[in-house]
Amino acid sequence: MMASRNFGQRTRRREDGPLLTGRGVYLADLIRPDMAAMRVIRSTEAHARITGIDFSAVANEPDCIGVLSAADLPQGIGLLPAADLVEGSAPAHHSVLARGVVRYVGEPVAVVLATDPYVAEDLAERMAIHYDTLPVVMDVDAGCRAAAPLLYPQFGSNIVHQTRQLVGDPDRAFVDAAITIDETFRFQRVSANSMETRGAIAALEPGSGRYLLHSSTQIPQILRKELARITGIGLESLRVIAPQVGGGFGAKEAIYPEEVLVLLALRRFGRATYWIEDRQEAFIASTHGREESIQLRAAVGADGVITAVEADCLSDIGAAYSFLSNTPGAAVASVRGPYRIPNFRSRARSVVTNKTPLNVYRGAGYPQATLAMERIMDLAAAAVGLDRAEIRRRNLLPPEVFPVDRGVSYPGCGAVIFDSGNFPALLESTLDAVGYDGFPLRRAQAAAEIPLGMGLSFVVEMTGGGGGEPARIRLLPDGRLQLLSGIVPIGQGSETTLAQILADHLGVALETIEVLTGDTDDSPDAPGTFASRGATMGGNAACRAGDVFIRQARQLTAELHRARLEDIIWKEGVLIDRTRPDEPLTLGNLLRQAAASGIEPLRALDAKGRYDDDAVSWSSACHAAVVAVDRATGIIRVVDYAVTHDCGRVANPLLVDGQIIGGAVQGLGQCLFEVNRYDEAGRPLSTGYMDYVLPTAATVPRFILRHIETPSPLNPLGMKGAGEAGCSGALAAIANAIADAVGSQVNVPNGSGPFTPDCVHSILRGAHQEETPA
Amino acid sequence: MNEPLVQIAMTVDGAPLSARVRPRYLLSDFLRERAGAPGVHVACGHGVCGACTIVVDGVAVRACLMLAVQADGATVQTIASLPVLEGTVTEGTGLTPLQQAFRDHHALQCGYCTPGLLVSSAKFLAAHRAPTRAQILDHLNGHLCRCSGYANIIAAIESVLQ
Repeated sequence: MMASRNFGQRTRRREDGPLLTGRGVYLADLIRPDMAAMRVIRSTEAHARITGIDFSAVANEPDCIGVLSAADLPQGIGLLPAADLVEGSAPAHHSVLARGVVRYVGEPVAVVLATDPYVAEDLAERMAIHYDTLPVVMDVDAGCRAAAPLLYPQFGSNIVHQTRQLVGDPDRAFVDAAITIDETFRFQRVSANSMETRGAIAALEPGSGRYLLHSSTQIPQILRKELARITGIGLESLRVIAPQVGGGFGAKEAIYPEEVLVLLALRRFGRATYWIEDRQEAFIASTHGREESIQLRAAVGADGVITAVEADCLSDIGAAYSFLSNTPGAAVASVRGPYRIPNFRSRARSVVTNKTPLNVYRGAGYPQATLAMERIMDLAAAAVGLDRAEIRRRNLLPPEVFPVDRGVSYPGCGAVIFDSGNFPALLESTLDAVGYDGFPLRRAQAAAEIPLGMGLSFVVEMTGGGGGEPARIRLLPDGRLQLLSGIVPIGQGSETTLAQILADHLGVALETIEVLTGDTDDSPDAPGTFASRGATMGGNAACRAGDVFIRQARQLTAELHRARLEDIIWKEGVLIDRTRPDEPLTLGNLLRQAAASGIEPLRALDAKGRYDDDAVSWSSACHAAVVAVDRATGIIRVVDYAVTHDCGRVANPLLVDGQIIGGAVQGLGQCLFEVNRYDEAGRPLSTGYMDYVLPTAATVPRFILRHIETPSPLNPLGMKGAGEAGCSGALAAIANAIADAVGSQVNVPNGSGPFTPDCVHSILRGAHQEETPA
Repeated sequence: MNEPLVQIAMTVDGAPLSARVRPRYLLSDFLRERAGAPGVHVACGHGVCGACTIVVDGVAVRACLMLAVQADGATVQTIASLPVLEGTVTEGTGLTPLQQAFRDHHALQCGYCTPGLLVSSAKFLAAHRAPTRAQILDHLNGHLCRCSGYANIIAAIESVLQ
């Protein structure tokens, strides 16, 4: 690493120019008038046998290009992948098109292709699907009962996944405990709600004749491999590109039926085909997040030290696996957070129900696990009569014990070993930022009808990983450099961050680096954008490629000057022959000299690097929320929100802070407003923004953000991820603040809400009844 | 399916345009597909999120809630007209004060909601020379942004006022 001219700077984003002027190229901007519009006919039943599919009303319409149902799919095409099945999991895979049985409202049953989307929608309404309804399973408790209707009778149970972990001797710890706290926390189902919905376009690539799929996806490279496997199209005949992606948050980290179907439609009907999800579809056809319950038992000593926890996590994954459904694995692996808690036992189960499949959503299992543990901390503090900051101090892992092997594993990612951190420093910083010591006075001065409360929370989360990350650097004809990265731009500003990192590594000016992303031709083996991995993995990979580039440039110079390689040095983008130090060579001059010597320099300077060392690092953060609860209206306002975050060395504080604020407001949304509701027959009740409430500008608190940098020892840049920490801590901090405001630790519903006004009123009534027994 | 076509004419971002369109053709689709205005972003399609906000005859509207035929004879301004709506552009960058403020304050991430936000904010600022914070929040409540958490959007708009 050379001098840090750019690393750590609040560099403004290079991505912004086109986005500010309406010239950003998102998926829908790639549609051409000659393409066929695909409309998906979705199940209107939550659970039913399909008794008939009748296309006769539309098949001969002149504007109908074609129709497809499961019976029309080529032999062997059918099931979508799930990445996190563990041994013993029942393979409840999602079908590309429903075959015989539908299991949720929104499940794709057929598609129709037409010359334009208005007509496709008309035709879809005239296609008749006949159903015989089956009994539904709408919650996990019902699904686990012995007499429950089975979504997959062949598995004999609706429980499709189960993992257990054990550390130490929790039974002994519970026997010795002064107090045992036992609570169950329930988390509602929410949608990621990227402002750009999903979409996919399949076309033949001019010239090569390859299949070219554009998708609004976080994982184009994985998508390419899976599409090749599912459709039988050779990998070399398939290119996938993620254009500018209008938000992802995990819901675009899956392999979806529509991505397969546009490709199959192109093959079958010979016409480039596109599909754009509408918002109503997005609520039922894009994956949901979060729904699970965690029962947490804690063994607490009289001194407030927690000696053991037992976690039992039951997740409602919907009708089938999506790509990454098993968030309970993440929840239980991380539920102890930053606390020592030497004894631990867990069980995590996934249950199928007649709802839209569940997938990771910003933070995956961490928001849930954090809320459960942090509510337990406050309940334990109240039980033993300790201050809420003090009980945390007594349980935090001290900085001198890192790296810390937690004795558990994260499904698919190996052992949980915290690489770095300084938890006490995070706590003290956040207490200071939020004004913890002065808060009792502030509370006393607040209006009696609008009480204030404060809540703390602590997140430790796995970031990075997902496999090794490639990068490639090419020299452009004008002497500038081009970095080709597999990190997909979903709004996080990776192009800017990666350019900052590479510019410093090579010692060149920021402006001389162009960054291209999201094309499987450039980075076929990259994993994509998820798990807060972009800056850390992409940045370290860029440095590796940078090292290769420098060596290539030195070699080329030595060859041209008939010099010894060791005499050629790279200094800030210039090559110097030590035997002729007064004749430095710029990259532009190197290009010209090479061309004059008959060497193809653009081929000689094409550097590929790869970062796949210890890929997982653990970020941490301490959050504090101050809320005001209006007793009359039941409206909760989050007033202040403080976060001290440790994502190791911060490449661009402007962008990292943007991630934290955006994430925290997503968490705030789940806490106060958001829920995907179903009725008892399995009909979704939240299918638009009139009945699914998102946070708006007026709901945003005052933010106080701080950073503590404990560099990760596992990567040369010392970085850890930052994309999810804001969201992961927010549910817990706000729920704890609400409990504190209403003055009752026992009557807050044990979960993440949403704490709507009617919910708040029922809490207040409960608290009142407790204070004045009848 | 033979749908009747209706002859319409309008001015979009300063350029006159005439076309024959189906009566049910949404203005948002018309602007994107026939008027070369890809900055009109459709995010919800039911008038809540504000991503498709444009100006029709001087009034900020949701393009997804209007039919193209309703804009017959109208003057339509999309994000491409932001320099006109704000009345000024910074030399060199080519950005308007609002665009520059959004960039300086990192008020956009994925950028999908941004054009609509800028268009309606330009109209808002033209109508309010010294808005209170409450008025700014009230204005912004007409827009959904899922990435930024709004704080930097609020800061960007406040900075333009100074």
